[in-house]
Amino acid sequence: MHLTWLELVNFRPYEALRFEPTEGVNILVGENGAGKTSVLEAIGYLGMMRSFRGVPDRALIREGSASAVIRGGIAGGASETTVEVELPSDGRRTVLVNGKRPRRVHDTFLSVPVVVFLPDDLDVIKRGPRVRREYLDDLAATLWPQAGQDLTEYDRALRQRNALLRQGGRETDTGTLDVWDGRVAVAGAKVLLHRRTLAVALQTHLHHAYKEVGGSGSVHWMYRSTWDSHSAGDIEALRVALAEALVESRPRDMDVRTTTVGPHRDEPDLLLDGRPTRTEASQGEQRTVALALRIGAYRLIEDVRDQKPILLLDDVFSELDKERARRVVPLIENGQVFVTTARDDELPIRGRRWSVSEGSVS
Amino acid sequence: MFEPPVQRLIDELSRLPGVGQKSAQRLAFHLLNVEEADARRLADSITEMRSTVRLCNRCFNATADAECTICVDTRRDTSSICVVERAQDIPVIERTQLFKGRYHVLGGAMSPIAGIGPEQLRMSELEARVGAEGVTEVIAATNPTVEGDTTAMYIAQLLKPLGVKVTKLASGLPVGGDLDYADEVTLGRALAGRQEL
Ligand SMILES: [Zn+2]
Repeated sequence: MHLTWLELVNFRPYEALRFEPTEGVNILVGENGAGKTSVLEAIGYLGMMRSFRGVPDRALIREGSASAVIRGGIAGGASETTVEVELPSDGRRTVLVNGKRPRRVHDTFLSVPVVVFLPDDLDVIKRGPRVRREYLDDLAATLWPQAGQDLTEYDRALRQRNALLRQGGRETDTGTLDVWDGRVAVAGAKVLLHRRTLAVALQTHLHHAYKEVGGSGSVHWMYRSTWDSHSAGDIEALRVALAEALVESRPRDMDVRTTTVGPHRDEPDLLLDGRPTRTEASQGEQRTVALALRIGAYRLIEDVRDQKPILLLDDVFSELDKERARRVVPLIENGQVFVTTARDDELPIRGRRWSVSEGSVS
Repeated sequence: MFEPPVQRLIDELSRLPGVGQKSAQRLAFHLLNVEEADARRLADSITEMRSTVRLCNRCFNATADAECTICVDTRRDTSSICVVERAQDIPVIERTQLFKGRYHVLGGAMSPIAGIGPEQLRMSELEARVGAEGVTEVIAATNPTVEGDTTAMYIAQLLKPLGVKVTKLASGLPVGGDLDYADEVTLGRALAGRQEL
């Protein structure tokens, strides 16, 4: 898959931009704050339907504008797909695929598969379990639109249950709580199943990628869930297990006025030769595992979708030593790649150079 | 801040569903620029609607009389009730021509975030009708959203003890939106394939 053109209207610093990248490696060179990352962010938005910088939609709208528009043409196989997103400063965003509303917003993930490498990728190893849950959920959503849909529904049901607990505390109406528990359990079971399926599907690719970037030993996911000790993969068994766990945690949840059990509290960990990488691996090993996770994701998407995803590398080479960079580049340079850099030299990857400044790309 | 009469209109408009501050400003200034007769016609139609149309005593559909045309129609099957979130969902179901019973408008869906629980909806009125009208099936035609689903589950939980069959629309409707996102054929299929809760 590759992006053939990108149009931005009132997106970040861009009042109006038309950008026609090459099918191969595109290197965006510019000063800090010139808008290089914003171009990657816009491409990423078409794939993930949110900013990879983790900011709300309204932060993407150019100062003083009523709405931002991102439009892109994506070629894959024989056909071209046009994806358009409008983000108004008030009201709901509109998403159009080939001019029509998709049945599910997550269907757009099929049109624009993207993988993002960021300088702070090490977070996925070093920080708390939330970033690892997000890694699994994002990748699942890129592979299977239904996973994105299920996750959205889980988040929504959970927020509703939490709002109910926050308002009611110990006086929360149990009849109302019963039905919200039911809805949380239905969606939560699906979320857990997607994560488990993904961890298994990813394993081979992760293992190979880790070797390719120079790691020694073997990397595994270990998924710990406080509410599902038996590891049956059956959706109905998972739903029942979560429903029971919610009932059991109810007195505590009413006390603390939030939901303390479920997939949003699970702890996926990465083990290197059986030891947790977060606490027991060296900085160098952690960096290698973090790289392997991105390359593994890239390979898995390529494998499942039979198309190379679009790769976004935001200022990644400044963080990589020469040896790792030398090993990474051959693994990724065959598809369409977007690289940002502040320096005009010393990049270990070759490609079409674009100069980014004052709201233009040339 | 605008001139007080303009600001008052902006405030009123921005309280409407789906209208934010900016849209409200746009609409207010639009109304300031059109012919006065056009603006007055809008104001009059709001006043006229509110003085002549009311909610049906039985099902809370919009009506000019005490009960709506569906509730007073003797050909309708009184043993089944189709529960919808809003009155505007009724014509959507009617278009499928597959439902012959009567309706019940809840007035929304459960959403603790929006401060809406069963007490804010017409749940007790529904419970009373099931007992009083000899109803044997209640179809929960709530929207295909997390809130709509949960509301359907609540209805089932509420009415099961009364020995009535509670069903919900089959899956296959566009997820996350209103009922009228679906075309008649899709909605008809969801209605025909309804499942017991
Ligand atoms: Zn009526």
